[in-house]
Amino acid sequence: MRIQEHPILGTYEKGKLVSFTFDGKPLEGYAGEPIAMALKNAGVMVHRYTRKEHKPRGIFCAIGRCTDCVMVVNGQPNVRTCITPLEEGMEIRTQYGVTAEQPGGAAK
Amino acid sequence: MMKRYDMIVVGAGPAGLSAAIEAAKKGMHVVVYDENAKPGGQLFKQIHKFFGSKEHKAKIRGFHIGEELLAEAAELGVEVVLNAIVIGIFPEKEVTVKVEDHVIHVKGDTILIATGASENMVTFPGWTLPGVIGAGAAQTMMNLHGTLPGKRVLMLGSGNVGLVVSFQLMQAGCEVVAVADAASRVGGYGVHAAKVARCGVPFYLSHTIISADGEDCVTGVTIGEVDKNWQIIPGTEKHFDVDTICLAVGLSPMSKLCDMAGCAMEDNPAKAGFVPTVNEYGETSVPGIYAAGDVSGIEEASSAMIEGRIAGIAAAARLGFISEETCKEEAAKQEAALEGLRQGMFAPGMRGKQITETEEGVEISQNLLKHGFVAEEEIERFPGVTHSAGVHPVIECTQNIPCNPCQDACPKHCIRIGSNITALPSIDPEKKCTGCGMCVASCSGQAIFLVNEDCGDGTAEVTLPYEFLPLPQKGDKGVALNRKGEKVCAAEVVHVRSAKAFDHTNLLTMKVPKEYAMKARFFREEETA
Repeated sequence: MRIQEHPILGTYEKGKLVSFTFDGKPLEGYAGEPIAMALKNAGVMVHRYTRKEHKPRGIFCAIGRCTDCVMVVNGQPNVRTCITPLEEGMEIRTQYGVTAEQPGGAAK
Repeated sequence: MMKRYDMIVVGAGPAGLSAAIEAAKKGMHVVVYDENAKPGGQLFKQIHKFFGSKEHKAKIRGFHIGEELLAEAAELGVEVVLNAIVIGIFPEKEVTVKVEDHVIHVKGDTILIATGASENMVTFPGWTLPGVIGAGAAQTMMNLHGTLPGKRVLMLGSGNVGLVVSFQLMQAGCEVVAVADAASRVGGYGVHAAKVARCGVPFYLSHTIISADGEDCVTGVTIGEVDKNWQIIPGTEKHFDVDTICLAVGLSPMSKLCDMAGCAMEDNPAKAGFVPTVNEYGETSVPGIYAAGDVSGIEEASSAMIEGRIAGIAAAARLGFISEETCKEEAAKQEAALEGLRQGMFAPGMRGKQITETEEGVEISQNLLKHGFVAEEEIERFPGVTHSAGVHPVIECTQNIPCNPCQDACPKHCIRIGSNITALPSIDPEKKCTGCGMCVASCSGQAIFLVNEDCGDGTAEVTLPYEFLPLPQKGDKGVALNRKGEKVCAAEVVHVRSAKAFDHTNLLTMKVPKEYAMKARFFREEETA
């Protein structure tokens, strides 16, 4: 959810509204904001599932340190979405282990 | 040829920028590397007013201090390189830096390591679920990216970070269901706790998280009381429906680079972790390599800035940009300022100590430490709480912390702290309050109220600091909350003042029945009680 107006900070400077896809589904976010913020505002909580136990992971530190939020971005796995700026047309995929392939099946 | 600098600074946070500014002022050629896309470290997430005195930039909000530092650094020609990770420090102060997809190799005649700290975490069943976040993450989402971390949040940790972030969560529009802490007493400043408690947030001390619920993300949390061996006491479990669990359980110095550079290290609990040993100038065991800020011991950003300045001055003397005498003189001034910040109940040397009374000999509020607010039967004993006819300040500042802006803010000199910066403010009964409200807005702890205990018609007026949206308007009716955040009576807004000098702290004046003059401390716009 976006904060429309903040009592101390007022309104937030935003980039251009751009389209991107999450697991093939079209979504919108602001260019330049971290991918993770665009996803969070679209209601996406799970960024990846761990390889061995298939446990969900999402944003934890939000400053690029913990690597919990990594996803497959434009085909490249392990991209820290909390510090990678969103660009028009980006293809973001849930990461399973270290790939976009679900175990025992094709990519969503 | 390898590029050479008089000083290489690692980390563009408060310590690094302050050092760079000081060094550049002396004529040094300085570069600052930072791994982030934006400089300022965590300063740009700090939207509360800082504590201290004028020289520590007290009552200025953190992000404004960040803007000031960046402007000053730019003016002095300090080169700040972003998205640049220092990956190695080698003999003869050779430094390798990863910038984008390549590595550059530079040499510094001096190096300052100001890499800051990272957040600690605690584990419990469900702690890896999406929705469990660090307090820093909450600040990053809200204050940099305008994104709500969640709707309903449980905060674990009652240190200053936990308290400040709880308040910020409410400012952004989240509901904070509780602040829990395994410790038996609130760890942060009482004034930070009190401003959270009066909004109705319950405090659970001696409580920790048992588990987080949820399949793919957090849907709830269970906390329970711990005994003196930190074991959960059966039957004390409490459940909350939340979508977010925020962890504010301390910081640890990020000192790996110091270790790598060959600096002598120590495990020092007073500094909250593994830190380089440094002398009074912040110089490590490796001559010419300095450390400043959280990397050399967890403290406030205000202290980090001064430590940075001292290191910058010392580095300038080392390279002959200033004389030894100038260095001693300038460093002594900074050290006095630093000493000022390291006083009082929360000074680094006081960690873990039980304090029962203030420097003035007033018994400490135990309710504040247990529940986050000063109880009605305790408040009268503090020197800032007095009674007189007409409007007058009521200062609910009950712990010795290094902070004094209220003293300077009052144009009538009603408020006295004196030269001891940690003294509790008291009221000069000879001076007449005009009700201007400058003290209310200047108090970083939001602990000052203007009270007219008897308006003559059976009502009293209470003016309080208000930093939420929507801002109530004159004539609005609602309820007054007491220090615990309980509804105590009906209230009507009679005045709302906003001024540039108040810096977004609005002054809301509400009318309440006069018997609630010393009880009503917050206003909520809803059905009358």
